[in-house]
Amino acid sequence: MNDTGTRSLVSFATLKPETLTALLVLLAATLMMLVMKVLNPAFGSVQQIAAILTTSIFLVVASYGQGLVILLGGIDLSIGVVMSIAGMMIAGLTNGSNEALTWALPVTLASCVAIGLLNGLGVAFLKIPPFIMTLAVGTAFFGVALGVTAGSSQRTVAPALQVLMSARIGGIPIPTVLIGCFLVAGSLLQSHTTEGRKLYAIGSSMAAARVVGLPIEALTIAAYGVSGLCAGISGLLLAGYSSSATLDMGDPFLMPTIAAVVIGGACVTGGRGLYFGTFAGAIFLSALSTIITVLSLSQGWRNIIQGGIIIIALIVQSKQWYLLSIVNRRLPGKRSLYGVLPQNSES
Amino acid sequence: MSQGTREKGRPIPSSAFAALLYVIMFVIYLLNSPSAITLAGITDLLNNTIVLALASAGLTLVILTAELDLSSVGVIAVTNVIVATVSTKFPGGAFISLVLVCLVGLLVGLINGWLVTFLGLQSLACTLGTMIVCQGIALLILEAPGGEVAAFIMNRLTDTLFGFMPVAGLILLLVITGWLLFRRTRLGIAIYAVGTDAVAARLTGLNVKRTKWIVFSLAGMAYGLAGYMLGAQTGTGDPRISNSFLLYVFAAVAIGGTSLGGGRGGVIGSVVGAGILTVMQKLLFAVGVAEFYTNIFNGVIMVVAILFGNLSAILSLRQRVITPRYRDRQFVPH
Repeated sequence: MNDTGTRSLVSFATLKPETLTALLVLLAATLMMLVMKVLNPAFGSVQQIAAILTTSIFLVVASYGQGLVILLGGIDLSIGVVMSIAGMMIAGLTNGSNEALTWALPVTLASCVAIGLLNGLGVAFLKIPPFIMTLAVGTAFFGVALGVTAGSSQRTVAPALQVLMSARIGGIPIPTVLIGCFLVAGSLLQSHTTEGRKLYAIGSSMAAARVVGLPIEALTIAAYGVSGLCAGISGLLLAGYSSSATLDMGDPFLMPTIAAVVIGGACVTGGRGLYFGTFAGAIFLSALSTIITVLSLSQGWRNIIQGGIIIIALIVQSKQWYLLSIVNRRLPGKRSLYGVLPQNSES
Repeated sequence: MSQGTREKGRPIPSSAFAALLYVIMFVIYLLNSPSAITLAGITDLLNNTIVLALASAGLTLVILTAELDLSSVGVIAVTNVIVATVSTKFPGGAFISLVLVCLVGLLVGLINGWLVTFLGLQSLACTLGTMIVCQGIALLILEAPGGEVAAFIMNRLTDTLFGFMPVAGLILLLVITGWLLFRRTRLGIAIYAVGTDAVAARLTGLNVKRTKWIVFSLAGMAYGLAGYMLGAQTGTGDPRISNSFLLYVFAAVAIGGTSLGGGRGGVIGSVVGAGILTVMQKLLFAVGVAEFYTNIFNGVIMVVAILFGNLSAILSLRQRVITPRYRDRQFVPH
């Protein structure tokens, strides 16, 4: 009972508030799919669920970096561009051969980490607001990529990556397995290492963290580096999934990474949030976009539904304490559902 | 700029640095295309600036209260297609569509403000939602780029008045004068107070929620006008205004010296910031560089402008002005 992770599994009564948020979001995603199943019985086959999980891996991976950066009170707007660059690089360097992967993979990921580190350097040392630094770096590197590739890559991605995204282990698609591994590794790194806990401290109060003597600059740079790495991995997988790469393929993922982090219960001013929450947010958004695609609606209606559900999710997420307190009052005895109520960030 | 935190001396407004940067860039532009100094050249430049300037002016108000607003591209898309569909349908459509875009902008702003203040949602995320919804509505009104903007709007609003005053310039002047008057009002001062420290502002008796709500509504109207002017410029409606425009709006605000953490900056800086981005586009086009250089320059200029702004902040600090650290809003005892 001394470990928070196991304790939250053991007893619902001492569930961490953030974990509860994440579970609610996952529940909402499941409900959404059930409603869809009722409306359209053809929907909801095992293949479709597997497809949702496969396509959610891009957002699950990319939003991990976004989550770390937001935890620090920053934001990373270069994720879309880095994803595209990773895809373009891996396609350009391997050109359809598996042998080239051995060196192309490290080179591509190192480039993505370098872009992330550049973001971090600007934020940590030049004190440029993260919003602008990452935006500027993203814009500039988009220009570089445009100059180098002249738009789209005509080359195909190494077959091994394509196999990775489509093959199965024991009947389970590899991407699903990867998502599971990534969730465990990401959560451990963020919430169960000292470095991860330091990120929470910095995000909660930069001034306090400075007084305590935490290596703020180094950790900031590292967080942006990890964000670049995650965007890079996500771009690689995306290139493998679509077997080719274009310069704008990462763009549609930028805004959803932010939405996933916030729906998952994090605070954009930093210091609060679990990766499990972000993960749940990413699954929710992926399921939502798949469902909307299945509905044969015009693009306009799809946008309206998607935006509307994001807002509703945010409202429910922010009001869950109120909703749960009603449930709580009906529980026998004086036991609280959760230890400490999070303070309302709004005055 | 933050009222009440100034101990002695006037800090150099960060917009002054932006203005300096603008002058430098304009001179370089002038050296490359001398026709820019003619009335036609200036009118053209101002016409190209006005959409970004209006949108970033609106966003500035929101950012000063330490909130973020992504809905600008959504509102611009909706109002742009409204102008392209409504303005030619009725006699006096130019006026009707003007009223309509203001109302639409106001409505979206009110919704944003309501979500942020009364439901306590995080502004970055919920305005992302309204942005997506607005883009959807724009697509419902006009499925593909097209439509037609009334000739009156297209010709008059992009032309000069009395033969010497570009209409776009006049609008910008109105915005700037309006801002100079506005920031002296109770509400104007409240915006800075709320952005600097919302808790302190509430304790001094300011209505933080109402202030934010009004600010979101004003911003929505500014986006609406930006969409109207976009219609005047292009002559058609385009429901798919790109998300990169949103990034330009934020870049213009930041270049203009407004702190994204709230409480510091102003509308004038953002208008100048919009000018800088526009002049740079025209300059690079005049020099004839490839598109990918444009992107690289855009990125570099953003960073340079912010470093300029930081420099101004350091100089201001030397004059013993207490400014809150970025994203680190501690209670600053006055």
